[in-house]
Amino acid sequence: MFRKGARRVPDFFLLDIDLTNQQYEKRNITELFSRWLGGTAVCSVLLEECGMDLEPYDPQAPIIFGIGPFSSVFPVATKTVALFRSPLTNDLGESHAGGRLAMSMYGAGYHMIRFRGVFPSLSYIVIDEDEVHFKRANSLKGMSALATERVLREREDSQFKRSIVRIGPAGERRSPIACATVDASRHFGRLGLGGVMGSKNLKAIVVSGGRYWTINDRKAMNAYYKKLYDTVVHSSTMKKYHNLGTAMNIIPMSAINGLPTRNFSQGFFESAQQISGETFARSYLSQQIACAHCQTGCIHMATLRETYHLEDNMVKTIKVSYDHELIYAWGSNLSIQSPEAVLRLLLFVEKQGWDAISMGVTVAWAVEAFQQGYITQEDTDGLILNFGDAQAYIQILERVQRGHNRFFRSLEQGAAYCASQYGGQDLCMTFGKNEAPGYMTGLFAFAGYASGVRHSHLDAAGYSIDQTILQQPMELQQANRCMYDEACWRMVLNSLGICLFARNVYAPSIISEGLSLLGFEAFDEARLISLGRSIHALKYRMKRKWGFDLTKVKLPGKLTKVMTSAGKLSEEEYRQVLDQFDKWVTEDIQRLGVQS
Amino acid sequence: MARLLRVIHREQCIGCYSCMYACSRHWFQAITVEKAALRVKNYHGVEGAFSIRPCYGCIDPDCARSCPTGALTTRKGGGIKFDSELCAHCGLCVQACAPKALQWDAFTEMPIPCHQCGICVQFCPNDVIAMVDVPEGGETSA
Repeated sequence: MFRKGARRVPDFFLLDIDLTNQQYEKRNITELFSRWLGGTAVCSVLLEECGMDLEPYDPQAPIIFGIGPFSSVFPVATKTVALFRSPLTNDLGESHAGGRLAMSMYGAGYHMIRFRGVFPSLSYIVIDEDEVHFKRANSLKGMSALATERVLREREDSQFKRSIVRIGPAGERRSPIACATVDASRHFGRLGLGGVMGSKNLKAIVVSGGRYWTINDRKAMNAYYKKLYDTVVHSSTMKKYHNLGTAMNIIPMSAINGLPTRNFSQGFFESAQQISGETFARSYLSQQIACAHCQTGCIHMATLRETYHLEDNMVKTIKVSYDHELIYAWGSNLSIQSPEAVLRLLLFVEKQGWDAISMGVTVAWAVEAFQQGYITQEDTDGLILNFGDAQAYIQILERVQRGHNRFFRSLEQGAAYCASQYGGQDLCMTFGKNEAPGYMTGLFAFAGYASGVRHSHLDAAGYSIDQTILQQPMELQQANRCMYDEACWRMVLNSLGICLFARNVYAPSIISEGLSLLGFEAFDEARLISLGRSIHALKYRMKRKWGFDLTKVKLPGKLTKVMTSAGKLSEEEYRQVLDQFDKWVTEDIQRLGVQS
Repeated sequence: MARLLRVIHREQCIGCYSCMYACSRHWFQAITVEKAALRVKNYHGVEGAFSIRPCYGCIDPDCARSCPTGALTTRKGGGIKFDSELCAHCGLCVQACAPKALQWDAFTEMPIPCHQCGICVQFCPNDVIAMVDVPEGGETSA
């Protein structure tokens, strides 16, 4: 908390929880924040100190949730970072989610919460400032991610705003592509946090509290806040996100052959119009909603009204969120042209608690592998897999849900595992075993998926570099350096708690000013950039210890044969880019070693 | 005629809590939603359904009537004035407010009176709330 008088860095605390012994400890980690800022950087330090020899589902394997000094303080600093060892890739697991979690952790008085150990049976945990309650919950077994929130929001009442993180049945089954769902429709989607929570019998986490910092320089704070608010609300910087949302990308991506279609067979989807952001907004969008302390409101909720018992005119309404990635994964990449079918599939995925991208890409692999003969009707127990067959996809998901046979159980292990069991590696759209996001704009999109510390399109936005090159050609090395620098810079944003959608709101000088207001002095642009490289190196050091080798991350064979926005790809250039990226990483790791 | 806080487009609320943060910042120099004199409520499992509970600026406030010590009194034009010195921390005022619009400060154990200042309105991005000229004894909510 700030005190009157001179600015100084506020106190930051870690809540360290041992699920096995149901004990917890509060630790002052202000020193770590003073050096590393917070968020993903401090999570990385805390992860590394747990040791590198624990398997993802080892009872002692840690899960760390972290927020930054901007969280809950400034607009659109809404992201909580989760770090763990990924059961999908077996190296660094990192995933980010919005909702109310950052606000609630701040209110509870913890910028970091670390879980180790395992509950003896299915349970959940309630964190309410200094009180932590461990609660058995076998009655929640098999309960959907959506129902679990309804139940716990009613049962765990609080005078303060709460956030609820929970897993669905997929996480309980320890699927390495299971997500953890946060409040209304936000997710720690990628890399299998849901499976890790499931391995700990940790069904849900409820966080609340009313703690807060006070402002010691009211005039400066109000002026700074107003400047941010005006940029977020009144400038064009964030307009895209609350207007059509990222779904606005569907049509333009297809127009430049950049929208993955039928398992990345092409970048043009003939039905892009039908599943576009414009179509969803016109016919299905019921409301935009926001994460706590984000005036943008990028969460697009669709309403689907359906009849049942036709003779009685009975009607039901479902609400489910959508965005570009979801429409790609369950629309174009599976050749689904009906928005209603996309929404029905998304609801199923949401209830089970899979990562929507991973499960969608795995199903797309299955369809093509079936068509090419790697999978037979014997494997599918008679089911015929075609692109565009939404009804068959529902049947697939139902069979995965009940563990119908070996093939369907394999599907929730992810595409790379399936390809290792059944063949068809060339058709398997994974990078470092993580299923690919929804852009096939060219070399840098794919190199970005490969080199990103979390193998996400958000690590360095390579797809954006591809599009820039289309307009203004750039040397390979120069473009690669842009991607590397962007990857490092985003470490700073992810350490402060800033949502990457607001990356253009928070320029380096703006960040320095905000940090100074909070007592973090002398974080000028050069220091921030240097820090970003250190954080990036810290993560790569862990990834390498866990066996990750960027120079060996394959480009799926199929992608050398298809047309992207940038035309056909050269595998040689892909290798060249990754090798150079890897050299820069090595240099920064060496620099980090000298600093430590 | 009094200028009072009103919910004018409830359905446009996106649940960002910007109004609550603004109120807490302005009146308590506190970075939180929990010091705000209004509340945006969300309901479990109902994505996008928000209910905004601002002080309605009652002419004859139930909260003030319930106060046994005279800490809460009627404000000219509607609403309440609060004298913290007189507060007995009993919470009867909060219980008396039917829409639960009067908020409770868990730290001081006192009510959080709305000053009808409109700072929350200035930080609402979607015109959900507004300061409205209300004739004495007029409608309490849009």
